[in-house]
Amino acid sequence: MKLSLKVWRQKNKEAEGQFKDYALSDISPDMSFLEMLDVLNEQLLAKGEDPVAFDHDCREGICGSCSMMINGKPHGPESMTTTCQLHMRKFKDGDNVVIEPWRASPFPVIRDLVVDRSAFDRIIQAGGFISVNTGNAQDGNTLPIPKPDADSAMDAAACIGCGACVAACKNASAMLFTAAKVSHLGYLPQGQPERQRRVLKMVEQMDGEGFGNCTNTNDCEAACPKGISVKNITRLNKDFLKATIFG
Amino acid sequence: MSSLLHFLRSTVFTKIVMATSGLLIIGFLVGHLLGNLLMFAGPEKINGYALGLKNLGPLLWVVRIAMITAFGLHVWSSIELALRNRAARPIAYDTKKSLKSTLASRTMLVSGMAILFFVIYHLLHYTFGIIQPNTYYAGGYRMESTGEIVHHVYNMVVAGFQNPFIALSYMIALAFMSSHVSHAMSSAFQTLGITNPNISKFTSKLGPALAAIFLIGYLSIPIGVMIGVIKKAPPQEHVLE
Ligand code: HEM
Ligand code: FES
Repeated sequence: MKLSLKVWRQKNKEAEGQFKDYALSDISPDMSFLEMLDVLNEQLLAKGEDPVAFDHDCREGICGSCSMMINGKPHGPESMTTTCQLHMRKFKDGDNVVIEPWRASPFPVIRDLVVDRSAFDRIIQAGGFISVNTGNAQDGNTLPIPKPDADSAMDAAACIGCGACVAACKNASAMLFTAAKVSHLGYLPQGQPERQRRVLKMVEQMDGEGFGNCTNTNDCEAACPKGISVKNITRLNKDFLKATIFG
Repeated sequence: MSSLLHFLRSTVFTKIVMATSGLLIIGFLVGHLLGNLLMFAGPEKINGYALGLKNLGPLLWVVRIAMITAFGLHVWSSIELALRNRAARPIAYDTKKSLKSTLASRTMLVSGMAILFFVIYHLLHYTFGIIQPNTYYAGGYRMESTGEIVHHVYNMVVAGFQNPFIALSYMIALAFMSSHVSHAMSSAFQTLGITNPNISKFTSKLGPALAAIFLIGYLSIPIGVMIGVIKKAPPQEHVLE
């Protein structure tokens, strides 16, 4: 396949970036999107140019590093798929492909397509944990958990923190991420003691990082490579109200 | 106490203000529509209804102040949140596609500002009589039931909508209002944390349904005037024109 790429290039946080055009040929439809970028980078290196910086780690859709906007969609055209699992057969020969970093002030661009997502880590640090005494883990069956709750908790816990929700949201809101992290503990008995404190702290941190707010357009849900539901946002709002009135 | 402070300072609280004030305004719109439809029942009915509202006295002011407060809070919260949203994405994308969001949900600020503009215009028109003073002061109406001379709301509205530019401006405003309401209902339920599956099952349909009812209901009046279903009331003998 032949492709015309338009890629965001930016030296560092402070530098002004701009788009650069690259033409690629001989791309196999069986390659992943990241492998296609690898091909581009080898050609750039051979020419003595700087390779395009992009984040990646697991290349199997579980680490959430491979964040980039591809033709206006986070992680590209395929739903429920991370960039590393996107295949070039989803594109046509001769396609133009625009590749940009996430755009949100709490996610500053460090270089090219790489953004700093530490804001997410700080939201987790604010309350996305349970405090337990160390020692032997108790037997699993001593804590009965209704199957629907366990399922909902697992669904929320599927969040890989990639930031696609923020990237897709017209307000650059981190509500879906925060809501998933609040819910996956909030559904479980272990999460109850800190449930109220957790939601208040995490929302406070989310606001403090400068994310936008949720206007319930639900684009985040469609962009999420793990299919996290906006029901978690409704739940966060409910927990938040409860924590205020009773907490 | 500290949690209350957290709450009041958070964007989630600002959204709750927006949702509750918005729902209050929607409640008003339902009542306002039912009242307005009395235009089809003739001058005696709608003029009597308007008189009845006036005679509510202090209660009318309670409703008015509640509406002004709700409107003020709604506009304040929308500006507050819109400014935050703008700051959260200082650099726009080169290419950005919408995924499952509706056009109505993406243009709430635009439709909201159109409504704000319209509400001021509407008040100047039919409440304060500044836009078309000639139709506002076009003579009173003598109630057939009591003989009392009252404001001729019926003829004022008919005369207003007989002007095609006025009728058109109302129709455009109604389109914006329906668009706003179609997203507003499900959005408000999500904001207020209604997780009950029996309710959330139909909240996504509630907004579009209400938007359609508002659109058809409110539109029926200017259209009724334009096609002559609602006609000017004949002059009454004891009333000075
Ligand atoms: C007929 C009058 C109006 C009604 C019935 C109404 C109703 C609502 C409701 C129920 C919501 C949903 C709240 C939520 O998202 O939780 C909403 C959102 C909103 N309204 Fe209004 N509103 C009206 C007028 C206005 C005006 C005058 C403005 C401002 C200029 C405005 C701006 C907004 C904005 C920006 C949103 C947020 C978008 C969103 O959250 O989806 N609205 N409105
Ligand atoms: S590289 Fe880990 S999710 Fe894509």
